[in-house]
Amino acid sequence: MKQIYIFSCILSLFFLPKLSYAQGFQVNFQGQKQQGMGCAGTALFQDGASIFYNPGSVAFSNENSINIASTPIFSNVLYVDSATQQAYRTKNPVGTPFSAYGIFQAHKHDKLKFGIAAYTPFGSTVQWEENWIGRFALTRLELKAIYIQPTLSYRIADVIGIGAGFIISTGNVNLQKDVPVQDSLGNYGHAELAGKALGFGFNAGIHYDLNKKLSVGITYRSQINMKVKNGVATFTVPPSLNTNFPDGAFTGALPLPNVTTLGWAYKATKKWHFVLDINYVGWKAYDTLAFDYEKNTTSLLDTKSARNYKSIFAFRGGAMFKANGKLDLRLGSGFGFSPVPDASVTPETPDANRFYFTGGLSYRFTEKFSIDASIYYTQLKRTAQNAETNLYGTYRTKAVAPGFSLIYKW
Amino acid sequence: MNRIITSISIAAFTALAVFSCKPKYEEPTFSKGEIDPSRFVMIGGGHVAGYMNDGLYFEGQENSLANIIARQLAKVGGGNFNQPLVDQSSIGISSNLLSPMKLGYKTDCKGVSSLSPIRIAAQGDLGIFNQNIYSTNALFGNYGIPGLKLADVFSSNSNPFFTRMASSISASIMDDAFASQPTFFSLFLGLEEVLSYAKSGGTTEYIQPNILFEYFYDQVLLTATANGAKGVLATIPDVSEMPYFTTIPWNGLTLDAASNTTLNSIYNPLGYYFTVGSNPFMIVDSTANAFAVRQILPTELLTLSLPLDSVKCNQMGVLFPIRDEFVLDAGELQYLRGVIAEYNQVIRDLAAKYNLAVVDVYDFSKNLKSGFVYNGVTMSSKFVSGGAYSLDGIHFNAKGNALLANEFIKAINLNYKSRIPQVDANAFNSTLFP
Repeated sequence: MKQIYIFSCILSLFFLPKLSYAQGFQVNFQGQKQQGMGCAGTALFQDGASIFYNPGSVAFSNENSINIASTPIFSNVLYVDSATQQAYRTKNPVGTPFSAYGIFQAHKHDKLKFGIAAYTPFGSTVQWEENWIGRFALTRLELKAIYIQPTLSYRIADVIGIGAGFIISTGNVNLQKDVPVQDSLGNYGHAELAGKALGFGFNAGIHYDLNKKLSVGITYRSQINMKVKNGVATFTVPPSLNTNFPDGAFTGALPLPNVTTLGWAYKATKKWHFVLDINYVGWKAYDTLAFDYEKNTTSLLDTKSARNYKSIFAFRGGAMFKANGKLDLRLGSGFGFSPVPDASVTPETPDANRFYFTGGLSYRFTEKFSIDASIYYTQLKRTAQNAETNLYGTYRTKAVAPGFSLIYKW
Repeated sequence: MNRIITSISIAAFTALAVFSCKPKYEEPTFSKGEIDPSRFVMIGGGHVAGYMNDGLYFEGQENSLANIIARQLAKVGGGNFNQPLVDQSSIGISSNLLSPMKLGYKTDCKGVSSLSPIRIAAQGDLGIFNQNIYSTNALFGNYGIPGLKLADVFSSNSNPFFTRMASSISASIMDDAFASQPTFFSLFLGLEEVLSYAKSGGTTEYIQPNILFEYFYDQVLLTATANGAKGVLATIPDVSEMPYFTTIPWNGLTLDAASNTTLNSIYNPLGYYFTVGSNPFMIVDSTANAFAVRQILPTELLTLSLPLDSVKCNQMGVLFPIRDEFVLDAGELQYLRGVIAEYNQVIRDLAAKYNLAVVDVYDFSKNLKSGFVYNGVTMSSKFVSGGAYSLDGIHFNAKGNALLANEFIKAINLNYKSRIPQVDANAFNSTLFP
């Protein structure tokens, strides 16, 4: 591990300013080849994952292809409370973001390509250990969103491709926390807010080959407001307080931010390719997390929690070495600023500025069939006091995400 | 060759995922700083004893202010802390021999049933007072004696909460508390003096003048610090902000049109007027007029001992003014708060004189009054819902004790450069709901 760390540090110095990707509750695993190179690849067409990374690049595809991938995330958070010095851990289940891409053309060398994609750009499950000190802020959060993106890409000139896709986003949210009322045995109450969310948006991009070696790409993925319309709030409280905490419907909304990316690809030699992406993520949209309960009581009021996220830049990049006709090796790294101000750091997203390091490879068994693998590693540390709950302590996060994909072309 | 590289890489990825994704916990280092916590003694009243829900019982004692502090001191070298525990199976006993209270359903004079503090039994466990549990093998550290006033620590004492733990019938609290040669001590004295006055609605004797309070406090400190022991002194909270005095609203007299007309016809000649809706209660005040009755002022307080059934069904506070024993009037409050300020000045001055830490319980009571959020839980001095006070409206519950214990720990850490961890107050019980 240490060796990888040191090696990547050297690499990241080489790539100043560094590379990376966005933060918050975003999951940035949409393509194994891009993941291998620091999650960058806006200006380099490699496979179907470009439907996500740059719909404009898709026009540079020359065959039909199908690509399915999954990246299990092993993520653990340790929280050490400042006042008590007691430590608590998450027991997160393994996250399973997946992606599936298909690129199709009516005839060989058609300028128009069709793409279809399904991927999970946001989502995580955070599960804290029993009776942890922050249980009145959060005990469990499950957040899942699946984007379905039909896409058209057109090669308007030999060196320019443009593309755009419409995004339908469906998701689930399940938020749980303890309620500070105790029954006759001393057990605390519990609240569970569950709902389905729906949102719409788009993803558009341009790919431009400046010359044989240098390409540039620009993409914009729009903000998507995930609205929970008929959520169900369920409260487990002592019987004498049932009327204070009536089960019922709630509404809420979560903005998934827009992302603007400027990326470069440089094919230095036949064997060495380099990529660099700069993202600007519109987290400013996430200023409040509000829950509106259908039935209010003096104990159950609508809540508005300040989030006040800031829009941030992230830098990511990497290199690919084409070892031979069958094997490609990749390495990358990134840096992202945290969109979360100190006062808004919560147990659901104990976010921090982050460096991460990635590696990957591809192996082509035949002309038609190949596999990719990638690995992602990051660790974060954040000490903060939340303004709403006054929870004050240090979060340390480690995440490892090994990914794998199968690609078939014809 | 390439196949081998591929399989090795995949194996390596998996190994990484399994072995290296848990952040490491670095054991915190605690330190005792300038104190020697090996033998800890705390002296005070019911708030120190673990008296709560108007009773002394095992679970309350386990979560006493003194015991919570002692448990944290144990993390930096504190020794065994012995408490005069009531038997675990006992229901406990209150100062007036009743049983402790719990939250239950009570039916009032109008036949309306609602959540209310109720006694858990017809009377308390008198056996608690009939048995002496002193032992030379396990000298007590908790000298929290419900009702203990400072002047009573020097001589033999008939307080049954003390006699059950006294070394002999002639022993004083000072004799017993310092028999173990404590190396660290805490005093939470003066509170029972002001409480006794306040609970009586200002009808008891005057509170001991602060000159005497200072003299006695100084005497205690001379003994306590004789062997070089360090300590922490607690100031007195503003007792008038306890739920016992703030729960019943001054304007809780609700009138319909008919009662309004009747009352106005009776009281208008005296200069008191009523409206439909909320009105001030009528209270006894011998200086008000020939009938010794007036409306209560918004700043004046009613005690939780006010018989609410009499108010609801028998015209108490209306045609029969509320008696003085249930009211802290403006003059009484001014006197009470004046004494608290004087006592607290004495405590701060003596702490400076003996170079001891001070924990500002007065500030704590003010913060609780305004309310604060502790690890996601809103705490306040509101009755029941505030979360910190027990059902007697005067003593903290276990969670309140834990919050206050944290204030003691902060004061010790600040003054003695120690690093003693606080407790997670939410791990302690608040009021339990049926």
